[in-house]
Order: sequence, then structure tokens, then C-alpha cells
Amino acid sequence: MKKRYLALMLLLSTFLFGAKADSSIWGNNLLSNILEYDKEGSLHMGHYFTVIQSTYIQPMLLFVLIVIPLAFAAHYFIVGPKVFSHSGKSIMVFSLFKRINHALAAISFMVIIPTGIIMIFGDFFGGGAFVRFCKGAHAIASPLFMISVIPMLLTWMKRMIFSPKDDIRWLKIVGGYLSKEKKPIPAGMFNMGQKIYFWFVTLGGLVMIATSVILYLVDFELGIFTSMGLSQIDVLRISALTHNIIGIFIVAMFMVHIYMSVFAIKDAYKSMIDGTIPEEEVKILHSSYYKELQEKGEV
Amino acid sequence: MGEFARLNFYCDEHRCINCDGCSVACAEAHELPEYISRRKVITMNEGIENMEYSLSIACMHCTDAPCQQVCPVDCFYIRADGIVLHDKDKCIGCAYCLYACPFGAPQFPLDGAFGTKGVMDKCTMCAGGPEETNSHEERELYGQNRISEGKVPVCAAMCSTKALLVGDSAKISDIYRERILSKGHGAKTQPYGWDVAYGKKL
Ligand code: HEM
Ligand code: SF4
Ligand code: SF4
Ligand code: SF4
Repeated sequence: MKKRYLALMLLLSTFLFGAKADSSIWGNNLLSNILEYDKEGSLHMGHYFTVIQSTYIQPMLLFVLIVIPLAFAAHYFIVGPKVFSHSGKSIMVFSLFKRINHALAAISFMVIIPTGIIMIFGDFFGGGAFVRFCKGAHAIASPLFMISVIPMLLTWMKRMIFSPKDDIRWLKIVGGYLSKEKKPIPAGMFNMGQKIYFWFVTLGGLVMIATSVILYLVDFELGIFTSMGLSQIDVLRISALTHNIIGIFIVAMFMVHIYMSVFAIKDAYKSMIDGTIPEEEVKILHSSYYKELQEKGEV
Repeated sequence: MGEFARLNFYCDEHRCINCDGCSVACAEAHELPEYISRRKVITMNEGIENMEYSLSIACMHCTDAPCQQVCPVDCFYIRADGIVLHDKDKCIGCAYCLYACPFGAPQFPLDGAFGTKGVMDKCTMCAGGPEETNSHEERELYGQNRISEGKVPVCAAMCSTKALLVGDSAKISDIYRERILSKGHGAKTQPYGWDVAYGKKL
């Protein structure tokens, strides 16, 4: 495990050593970049970047920030939370190592997400020192996510593989969240919703890390892009668009994640602090996992 | 110049001799840090006989400036005479303006201990910035404000072959036509870069 992790970090760090003497943007490339701008046969990335960044990014994020809380409010007042007593018997589910990884990722997201939103709505906040501070905080919090995402991916991967038997049924009944009834829900250690979130933030997170390194370094060149015929300026344009669009999806999913673990299933987040889940909660919300534990004689 | 004249740049590729004087004059006049050059001279088709020519390029002060459209903190403003300026106090150095710019004009000094990109710098057409005109602050942040004193931007003023011109777009177009006619070369109908920067006019 440790070796694989080191190898991955080494791979990532090669990103940092792509610098060369001549600038990849303002050097000899400047000319071909100018000649190609939105010309026939070019990727038209300058044009797409301008249109998408200027007209779609802010409204998309605004939509997410308005619609998702409204949906939560509707769910909370119409259906209401699922409450499981935390004073009875509990099952130890998450080891200390997993909880530490999760805590690192959680802390980093609590900085990365609000500051990302503030940067996208930079005009609303008037720009200047405050937004610049947020940009710095966003970048400083990133390494926390970078060191936690790979162990998280490796330690939870097996449990996150889709199991058609449970997961399709889970989707059909939307995880049972449309009623307050405490009927056993088809799900293993993680339910379909958690699996979707997991794959999105880990794999999407790796894309976020890669694009963020490119945006942070700006002026460098990587052989893999040049061999694909991509100019560095187009790499930057694609990275900025990818970072912002996937970023908006991550904001949406993060909000759902918080709502589920704090409100929809009252106090479920506590399992990531002490590692335990109330036995009744496991029995109902993760019925297949409960059966598995019963078979092993652990409950 | 008429009251509503739009100021445009034009570099004549048949006159530019790649002396780099414009770039040096700009850097000196505005006391730019060594790794920033608002104006650059570029040679095309280097070494190919009769095809080699040079051009001086800086911010073109575009109509519908793409940089202004994408800036997340809205720090650009376009003056009535078409000069595209930005507010360095608001800029967060995100480089989106560079990604949108057809001419690679915006540049970024390295900032602080983490070496992140600082606030953006680009050609101001020697018209300073939003600070009080000709104040110490304006000069520190944006360089000289020559336009306010009725002077020609320093790069064009010192161009010894008068390849680099700046001024009212109508006048520049006239000079361009005159030069094309008198020399009888060039099938192009407008100066280099104008279709992208100012829309397909002329
Ligand atoms: C998931 C993990 C994420 C990581 C590791 C990450 C990392 C970074 C880094 C290192 C930068 C460069 C900062 C700089 O240039 O100084 C950046 C920029 C940015 N990020 Fe993220 N980010 C993440 C998620 C997000 C999310 C969710 C959003 C949006 C809601 C977002 C929005 C932005 C914006 C708007 C920029 C400005 C572009 C720039 O400065 O180059 N990021 N990010
Ligand atoms: S040349 Fe670039 S920086 Fe200048 S106005 Fe046009 S888009 Fe903006
Ligand atoms: S670098 Fe500054 S001027 Fe350019 S888009 Fe970002 S905030 Fe605006
Ligand atoms: S107009 Fe002024 S700021 Fe712009 S390139 Fe020429 S000298 Fe530099």
C-alpha cells in the first residue's frame, strides 16, 4: 500500500518539473497562438473559453446554490429527517486511519468550496484583497486534499464497487428517503448514493488536482500535451473550464453530502468522528452489510 | 482626433525592422519589472526569403474585449476612446483574461513566497489606470499616463521607421490604404490582427 502510494505521489510530482527556458505562452509560441485564435482548423478554445466563462459559469453555480437548498428545505419539511438513537448499541465501522483521511479531506473541502464559490462570484465580492486572500486559501488548502484523496480511494475502493442487486433497488426507491418509514434499505457498507458521491469526488478530485496544478503553474510545457498537438494556452483554457465545470458539480454533491449526514439522517456525521454507527441505523439503512456482519457473527 | 475617435494600433510588417526599440522604450518608460514586456516584436517565417517579416504586438485594445467579458471581478473598463484598462486593486490574478485574449497580452509578475501569479499587467496604451490621473499611485501601478498629457504612446513615438502607429482608427486606415497603394503590394484589406481585435470592419 505504502509503495503504491509513493509511486503515485512521485507521478504527480513530475508535473512540477516541466519548466523550460523559453516561455510557452509569451515566447515563440505567442505567434502561432495569435494566428490560430478562432481560425478555421483551430480548436476554437479561446472562443469557447470566452463564451462559456462569461455567460454560463456564474448562472450554473447560482442555479446550484439556489435549487439544492430549496430541495433540502422541501424534503426536510415534507418528509423530515430519519432519526436513529445514538445512545443505544453502536457498531464500529470506520478505523482511525480512515477517519483521519476523511477529516483531512473534510477540512480541505470546507476551505476549498467556499473560496471557490467566492472566486467565481468575485465581482459580487468586489474583487481585491478579500478575493485574493480566498484564492490563496483555496490553493493552500489543496495539498490537504491531495494527500488524503489517494489513501481514501485505496481504502474504500473495494466497498464502493457497484453491486447491481442492492444498488438498482436503492435507486428505484431513492434510498427510501421519500418516506419516514424504517424499512430495511438495500445497501452494503455504502449505499448507491454514497458510491456515486465517492467516485465523483475521488476521480473528479484527481481531475481537479491535475487542472489546478496546471492553472497554478501557468507557464510550463508537458510533452504529453505537445505530442497531442495542444498549445499550452489551449491546455490552460481547457483546464480552467474543466476546473470550473467539475467544480460546480462538486459543490452540488458536497451540499447533498452535508445535508444527508447532518440533517436527513440526523447526526450521521458523528460516525466520522468516533467511527461508530448506531446498530439500528446499520440494520435499516445498510441492511446487506448488517446481514454480512450477522453471518460473521460480529453483531 | 475627433471626440469619439477610437484609438487603434497598427504595425506595418513591411516597415518593422525588428529593432525591439518599442519594447525597450515601453519597459523603460513605465519602469516594468524585467520579466514583463507589454510589447513584443515577433518575426514570422524566419529565414524564408521574401517571406520574413516582423510585427510589434501588445494589447490591441479590442472592441468587445474578450478579457473584459471573462474577468470574474469585472475589473476592466473601456474608455470612450476605446482604450481597454483594468483596475489592479480589484484584480485577483486568475489569468482568465490571458486565456480569453487573442494576442496573449496579459502578463503576471510572480507574487509572494508561494510564487503564485500576482495581479495582471498589460499595455495601457500609455493611459495609466483608474487612480487619479498622473498621481504617484497611478504611475507606480500602471506607468506613465502620456495620453492625459496629449502625448503619443511612447512605443509608437520612438518607432524610427514609423511602422508602429497608434491613433484614430479612421486615420490609421487611411494611412494603411495609402501605404498599400503607393507600394502596390499586399492583397490584405486591413492591417494585421484587426479582424480579430476590432471585428471585420474596413
Ligand atoms: C476538489 C479539489 C480542488 C482543488 C484541489 C483545487 C485546487 C485549486 C488550485 C491549486 C487553484 C489554483 C490557485 C491559484 O492559481 O493560485 C485553483 C483555482 C481555482 N479553483 Fe479550485 N480546487 C478544487 C475545487 C474547486 C471547486 C469545487 C471550485 C468551485 C466551486 C473551484 C474553483 C476554482 C477557481 C474559480 C479557481 C481560480 C482559477 C485560478 O486561480 O487559476 N475549485 N483550485
Ligand atoms: S488584446 Fe487581449 S488584453 Fe487587450 S483588449 Fe484585446 S483581449 Fe483584452
Ligand atoms: S487576472 Fe485580473 S484582470 Fe485578468 S481576469 Fe483575472 S481578475 Fe480579471
Ligand atoms: S502604448 Fe505604452 S504601454 Fe502600450 S506598449 Fe506602447 S509604450 Fe507600452
